[in-house]
Amino acid sequence: MDYDVLVVGSGIGGMESALKLGDMGYKVLLVEREGSVGGRMILLSKVFPTLDCASCISTPKMASTIHHPNITAMTYGEVDGIRRDKNGRFHVQVRQKARYVDEAACTGCQQCETACTVAVPDQFNADLVARRAAYIPFPQAVPKKAVIERQGTSPCTNTCPAGIKTHGYVSLIRSGKYEEAFQRVADVTPLVATLGRACYAPCEDQCTRGELEAPIPIRRLKRFAADTHYGRKDLPNVDRPQANGKRVAIIGSGPAGLTAAWQLARQGYGVKIFEAEPQPGGAMRLSIPSYRLPVEALERDIANVTALGVEIATSTRVTDLDKLRSDGFDAVCVATGTPSSAKLRVDGEDLAGVQSALSFLRDIKLGAKPNLAGKTVAVIGGGNVAIDAARSAQRLGATAVHQICLERRGEMPAHTWEVKEALDESVQLHDGWGIAGFTGNLEVEAVDLKRCTAVFDAEHKFRPQYDDSDRQSIRCDLAIVAIGMGVDTAAFPKLAPNGSRALQANPQTLQTSLPWVFAAGDAVDGPTSIATAVGKGNRAAYMIDRYLRGLELGAFEGIDDRLGVMDKSQVLARQKSYTPRKVIKLSLPLSAHPQDFAEIEPPMTEAEARAGSGGCLDCGVCSECGQCVETCPADAIHLDMKEKKQEVEVGAVVVSTGYKLFAADLKPQYGFGKYPNVITAMQMDRLLAPTRPFNTILRPGDGKVPERIAYIMCTGSRDKTVDNPLCSKFCCMYSVKQNQLIMGALPLADVTVHYMDIRAAGKRYEEFYDQAKSMGATYVKGRVAKISEKDDGNLVVRYEDIENGGNLVEAEYDLVVLAVGVQPNKDPVGLFPEEKLALDDYSYVAELDEDLNPGRTNIPGVFVAGTASGAKDIVDSILHAGAAAAQVAAHLEEQAQAQRETTQAKMKVLA
Amino acid sequence: MNTIRDIREVIREEPVMQREILAAVKLGPMTIPEIATAISRPADEVVFWVMGMRRYGKLKESKEATDGYFRYGAPEVRS
Repeated sequence: MDYDVLVVGSGIGGMESALKLGDMGYKVLLVEREGSVGGRMILLSKVFPTLDCASCISTPKMASTIHHPNITAMTYGEVDGIRRDKNGRFHVQVRQKARYVDEAACTGCQQCETACTVAVPDQFNADLVARRAAYIPFPQAVPKKAVIERQGTSPCTNTCPAGIKTHGYVSLIRSGKYEEAFQRVADVTPLVATLGRACYAPCEDQCTRGELEAPIPIRRLKRFAADTHYGRKDLPNVDRPQANGKRVAIIGSGPAGLTAAWQLARQGYGVKIFEAEPQPGGAMRLSIPSYRLPVEALERDIANVTALGVEIATSTRVTDLDKLRSDGFDAVCVATGTPSSAKLRVDGEDLAGVQSALSFLRDIKLGAKPNLAGKTVAVIGGGNVAIDAARSAQRLGATAVHQICLERRGEMPAHTWEVKEALDESVQLHDGWGIAGFTGNLEVEAVDLKRCTAVFDAEHKFRPQYDDSDRQSIRCDLAIVAIGMGVDTAAFPKLAPNGSRALQANPQTLQTSLPWVFAAGDAVDGPTSIATAVGKGNRAAYMIDRYLRGLELGAFEGIDDRLGVMDKSQVLARQKSYTPRKVIKLSLPLSAHPQDFAEIEPPMTEAEARAGSGGCLDCGVCSECGQCVETCPADAIHLDMKEKKQEVEVGAVVVSTGYKLFAADLKPQYGFGKYPNVITAMQMDRLLAPTRPFNTILRPGDGKVPERIAYIMCTGSRDKTVDNPLCSKFCCMYSVKQNQLIMGALPLADVTVHYMDIRAAGKRYEEFYDQAKSMGATYVKGRVAKISEKDDGNLVVRYEDIENGGNLVEAEYDLVVLAVGVQPNKDPVGLFPEEKLALDDYSYVAELDEDLNPGRTNIPGVFVAGTASGAKDIVDSILHAGAAAAQVAAHLEEQAQAQRETTQAKMKVLA
Repeated sequence: MNTIRDIREVIREEPVMQREILAAVKLGPMTIPEIATAISRPADEVVFWVMGMRRYGKLKESKEATDGYFRYGAPEVRS
């Protein structure tokens, strides 16, 4: 048996049971789901009727619990299930949730909290103020260690093929940390400005905000970070690491090659890029028109790489991999992209004037801009490259540009918005047509079309069907073909090909058939996107580094093992309501007849960037912005930490899971959640506590020090309309306590309590009540019917004044406090999947023999302590927990005795 | 004028609002209603932002309340 007892929950009841049992010599495992022991009591201001400081009483107990030699306290843990075996022992599935903080190293300095860029309601302050995703539960937390709240990977980050922490840079921009946002992207790739312009932003398709009014403009935010960074004068500003003596050759300077070079050079590798074209950048430089991606933006990104000492040899085609090895390179990364164009294989394709889109776009980017004035151009293809070619032809003065594609408009592989922009620029779309051939005498004069009736077969394989009887011909002076791209596999005969148009590499490690050669990007995957190629370049660098350090190639840490993606419905369910935000719309100044290649998309203003990033819903809670990691002076934060599950065997279980507070908005006539100056008594207790969320007692509507404060008793208790006929037993006394504390803190304040009757049935409770009255608190017998709000935030309370004739009276207050009752916590039922833990008529954990055997439940060996079995004040909770501990001890001794007798009987038989 | 939005939605905006609030109090400490007027946002939302900023040391309250309101300003930086 691993432990004698499992105690679930570490409120005052759980701690008391654990301490009593520990003192008796039993080994106790205490599991607490929050990051600190202490439960609710530690959050209170003072306790009644002694007005002792709650912290002063709680913290020694918390410290004793944590440091007791017989108690193992697992904070930030969960019990996933408890099963009882035939011997009466319990097998418990416990899970240590990842706090992402090394508890031994964390000093509780709170610098991670200050640096964190995500604000969420602080449950330890009754939602009156924000905490951060990185947080220490409360100032007296035991252990005083930070927790990083990570519920999952945000959909934007999860979907980014580049592996960029998308949520991270969005939250940094939201916090005004623009340079940090740039660096967050640069952690992955040097191509920040490029991706900010030319990425197709799959993150935006996944943005949870898209389920509301519109996704946030994530790509443009990245561009904003890049524009801001490159607006500085001290660039490129990169640190060159110390050389590690090893060299890596990279073939190709597209997104995969540049990213791999960037990552390797930052780790001290000597990197040389070999580029077959006269200028670096691959398809980004040669295929993407400048109106989408200005050369200057790309060059600024590439300058980051060369600033690290990476040498780029242009106009250098490499095919002999062995020679690279003999030249002293320890590893090679092939990242040549897809420079070859697919052919239509139709009549007339060899006529002059029939050209591939890649060569057409390349000529333009290298300065040889053909004059198309007075000419008609046909562009064949339905993808993004075809769109780029068509829009470029428009800019070169073509009289007419016809785009012809097999697919119908809605099926085109090009992005919908790109098709629209092309049409806005007067490109004429002929969708649903295939190419029968080209006609002309030496030079192309027309393209002949045949109707395409279907592009894909029943299995969705590309297998176009045509109606040869439906034909037309379009006259043209230039035909540009953009129907597919591939890698030149013949260039590397020693590398195994993957079909005829790509290289073969292990999809996880990117290692090729030659162990020292890795291949990344479109050279392996075929035509994809810049972001995808960036992701593969990043992966290749990671694997090459491991290979050269003699480590096993395996998963790409931080990418392959990231947390599961957040469920959007779960994210949206966190709020009861959403206010529509103004959408940051992009209105491009498109011309029907564009004349030049000037960049179309305007930069984002700072106001737009902040408004746009402000819409982020923080799906995963922690944004992975990395500020806590960078700030922590103890290097204690590790976002790669994993939760740990284990099964333990125990002899008994104590359920001390406490209660839930009544949700005050279920009494709509009192206006909680509608009027900001209506608060709950738990919120008032936080305002009265020394560790209060505000600087003093203020009303939440406008920060005013309240002068007239009303209490409404029995909110959600003794109330059949909310299905809770029970008295919560301690609301009267905590209200009386708060009345006294308020009058102490705000001597000029008037406190009025609207009550049904005051239940002061405890030692010195009546005197405590009398003391509040003598201090000046007014107690008015009668129910409150309704609360309404005035323009100044004051509240008009309409009530029955029973002791003065039963009249209906209205009174005005600055602040109203709802003395909310308690509700049962039904969570313990889920702890026992194989046996039903009995609940009483009010859904508290049932005690079968409450009078004579308090704490015993229907499951032998399972006990209940404290308010999990019903409403109790602190004193009664402690008494009950002590009784439960005695019951546990009796149960364990009975079991031990039975075992001893069984053993003795067996020994007698053997003798 | 108070307009209650979901608390999580309001609190999430604190990082965005910090700069506006700090700009508003640059000339001197202000009460919550004054800040609300300056940045054209509801006072109940400003309470969340100001208290969040105060918690993490970006704002500090005046010692005494005047006419029931404390003033909040940027904390003095000690040289």
